Amino acid sequence: MATTPSSQPIVHLSNVDKDYKLGAVTVTALRQVSLEIAPGEFTVIAGPSGSGKTTLLNLIGCVDVATRGQVIVAGQDTGKLAEGDLTRLRLNALGFIFQSFNLVGVLDAFQNVEFPLLLQKKMNAAQRKERVMDLLNRVGIAEYAHHRPGELSGGQRQRVAIARALVTLPRIVLADEPTANLDSVTGNQILDLMQELNREGTTFLFSTHDPKVVSRAGRVVRLVDGRIVAEETAEQYQTRQA
Amino acid sequence: MILIHIALRNLLTHKVKSAIVGGLLVFAAFLIIVGLSLISSIDSSMSKSIVNSVAAHIQLQQKGAKDELSIFGQMGSNEIGYIHNFPEIRKALEALPEVAAVVPQGIDSSIVFGGNVLDVKLEALRNAVKAGDKIQTDVVRRHVRRMVALLDDELKNLKGFTDQEKMSDDMKSGLVDVTQANQPAFWDSFDQDPYSHLEFLENKIAKMAIGEDMLMLRYVGTDTERFRQVFDRFEMVDGTPIPPGQRGFLFNKFTYEEQVKHKTARRLDKIRDRLAEGAKVATDEEIKQWIKLNRTQYKEITFQLDDVATDAVKAALQAELASQETDLAKLVDAFMDVNDANFAKRYALFYKVIAPKIRLYGIRVGDTMTINGFSQSGYATTVNVKMFGTFRFHGLDRSTMAGAFNILDLMTYRDLLGYMTADKKAEIAKLQAESGVKELKRDSAEDELFGKGGGEVVEDTSDATPAQAAAATPTDAPAAATPTVVAAGNGGTGAKAFAKSLESHVYSQAEIDGGVIRNIAIMLKPGVDVKDGMIAVNRLIDENKFELKALDWRAASGLVGNFIGVIYAVLAFSIFIIFLVSLVIINNSLVMSTLERTREIGTMRAIGAQRTEILWMFVVEAFVMAIVFGAIGCAFGYGLVAYFGHFGLLAGNDFMVFLSGGPRFYPALPPWGLPVAMLAVMIVTLISTLYPAWLAMRITPLAAMQDSE
Repeated sequence: MATTPSSQPIVHLSNVDKDYKLGAVTVTALRQVSLEIAPGEFTVIAGPSGSGKTTLLNLIGCVDVATRGQVIVAGQDTGKLAEGDLTRLRLNALGFIFQSFNLVGVLDAFQNVEFPLLLQKKMNAAQRKERVMDLLNRVGIAEYAHHRPGELSGGQRQRVAIARALVTLPRIVLADEPTANLDSVTGNQILDLMQELNREGTTFLFSTHDPKVVSRAGRVVRLVDGRIVAEETAEQYQTRQA
Repeated sequence: MILIHIALRNLLTHKVKSAIVGGLLVFAAFLIIVGLSLISSIDSSMSKSIVNSVAAHIQLQQKGAKDELSIFGQMGSNEIGYIHNFPEIRKALEALPEVAAVVPQGIDSSIVFGGNVLDVKLEALRNAVKAGDKIQTDVVRRHVRRMVALLDDELKNLKGFTDQEKMSDDMKSGLVDVTQANQPAFWDSFDQDPYSHLEFLENKIAKMAIGEDMLMLRYVGTDTERFRQVFDRFEMVDGTPIPPGQRGFLFNKFTYEEQVKHKTARRLDKIRDRLAEGAKVATDEEIKQWIKLNRTQYKEITFQLDDVATDAVKAALQAELASQETDLAKLVDAFMDVNDANFAKRYALFYKVIAPKIRLYGIRVGDTMTINGFSQSGYATTVNVKMFGTFRFHGLDRSTMAGAFNILDLMTYRDLLGYMTADKKAEIAKLQAESGVKELKRDSAEDELFGKGGGEVVEDTSDATPAQAAAATPTDAPAAATPTVVAAGNGGTGAKAFAKSLESHVYSQAEIDGGVIRNIAIMLKPGVDVKDGMIAVNRLIDENKFELKALDWRAASGLVGNFIGVIYAVLAFSIFIIFLVSLVIINNSLVMSTLERTREIGTMRAIGAQRTEILWMFVVEAFVMAIVFGAIGCAFGYGLVAYFGHFGLLAGNDFMVFLSGGPRFYPALPPWGLPVAMLAVMIVTLISTLYPAWLAMRITPLAAMQDSE
């Protein structure tokens, strides 16, 4: 778990570039991105397809490293960490919610949520059970604890995924298009849940190009062609879109 | 824990993959279990066959000999060397705590003539004449006359086919002699001078006779008494064991039946055995062939029947065949034309009516047989020896391998071997000089000499007694032990008496041990490992500077000993192939499933699983597969082995009998079989998991995001 005081920003990016090599051609996905995320934020990275939303999320999520510039997550400079340390950082400081839920198909809901705790090896079985059931209750699917993902609806699966992202009490939860694979009613319910969780103290960072999602955000970071073109409120974003 | 859970869940979820991989692993484990059981069982049963019949655990032969000892290997004598100081070696070996017994041996092959029926009849005639028994003389003489007539017919036939110019002079004059003996005049004058007639028949006619079988016999020359005690597979069938210290020959029952028994009777036996196995006369080509031979070779029966017997057999066959036929040849032909329906009855009739009237075995228990050897120095040797009986190696009665060994006493063996040391030759020369005897030309001596030394033939004008003969050869003198000096008295009576007394002469242990031998069989004490035995024996050889080489039974048995190595290699190779195929297929299917699971693995990596944890997940999965499917395969294999271990597997042929150490083969799983099979399956599974695991470890957390954006 991160030890930095909560007043410090959880994420700090300064002048970050990210290049991809596609054969002989170098494609720059992010240019001179600087960004800070403070604890308790409910931030959306908005932008069209290919604008670099996912790349930015990957850098913050420590699954990729910047080509240039500095990415500090939970007080650690990710550019200076080894592969194993990055993994540990992900495990202890970050929670992930994926577009396609990405649950382990052979495990039931309870086991999927428990998985990160097993990787952490910090809790005994009773502690883990308490934590997992607590979260499953919180996301409203405790009764499905022993169903496998295949037996659950999309919304239920994403709730399991949210519970899994939260089970380690991460500093920040990263969600990549979390409602893209859900119908609008279910998507709204998921966003309601996330907002509730945010109000209870969890920091969220989304990527999305869905205006409905953006409208829920406390802060919108607008990305075009790998650059941050604007930082605005949801209202400002919607006005401009209209 | 969660890894095992995921592994198990994966196995259950990916059913097709699990079925393919599982099937292969089950098969591999099954094959290893069954294969190991078969081989180790064959190994142990065959080792029992070999060790307890002839070879014992360890064999010694002369160091630096040209050929390596090969007990079950090539026939005929090979240059395996000689051992002269057996008493000394024996004493040293018997002092070893590992050694249970030491048996001197020499393995060789010689030709034996399997009993000329005419010879036998002529001897009967001579005895009848000598006894002055008019009636008996008459009966036998008529039989001999018929035999001569048949022989004349046969030879005239043969003459028609043969190029006269290529015929040897011996053959030509023989034909003339037989024709002469077939003249009424010859028989009319028989009573006037029976002895000269007999001599003519014995010397000129008998050698032309048909029905003399040449047997190639393989035998172990050995201390017969010790052999009998040490090799526990040995058991007597007919007759008695050779009395301790005496000369004698024991037929292996297998050889005796195969080679010495009357051909027609033997074929009938074979037909009976084959029918008992479920074959049908109508469909079995080999049975048809045997029947054909029995029909065409009716002379093997008719030749042997005298007038009285001919009438009795005729009557019996006429009744059986409901025929008025009076020609015995035609009756026998018809009688031998058996089918599935009448075989049992005719078989019984044959043994009830015909068998007692013919010579069922060319050489019978109690007969004196003549063995024609070919000595190491290159000349022919001939010895007479009494046949005491037949024996078998228990459980190996049907095995051609073990069944080929007959047993001969060491003294006779040495005579046949005719091995001469330089000392011995010098000694004989000295003896010759002292007694003023001259060597006889072999050709002229042959007819008159009976028991004779394997070495040079030496004439002695006085009738030698065995005691004298023994005295002439010091007990420590190797080879040509006793009867170097042989009488050539008038009419051979002295020689016969000599041969008789030789038969009953009892040799001392010192005399038996004292001569040359070819190899030494060492039986280890129960529980002593052959390897440890070898070490002890080799150390002893070094310490005593014996000119010996030690071979374990496997090496000493020749080809057969290697056979087990060959099947091991075959099994190892087929398992290797199975594993190779499994490896490729398992690897392939795991790679496929890894690719399928890319996103899942990426997700695990993203939410904090280390690479090593992914690796472990694969390793655990491999282990789970190996253990589950390996165990299933082992269970199947064990079940099959246990089934046959309980009920036995019929050994299909003689070689199989030898391998399985008995008529049925009982495979058993060696105690190390299970761990070996499981270990092998695990290793193969692990190896086939390496590449997919490596691929999985390379999956980055980015893979979890692949469908975003």
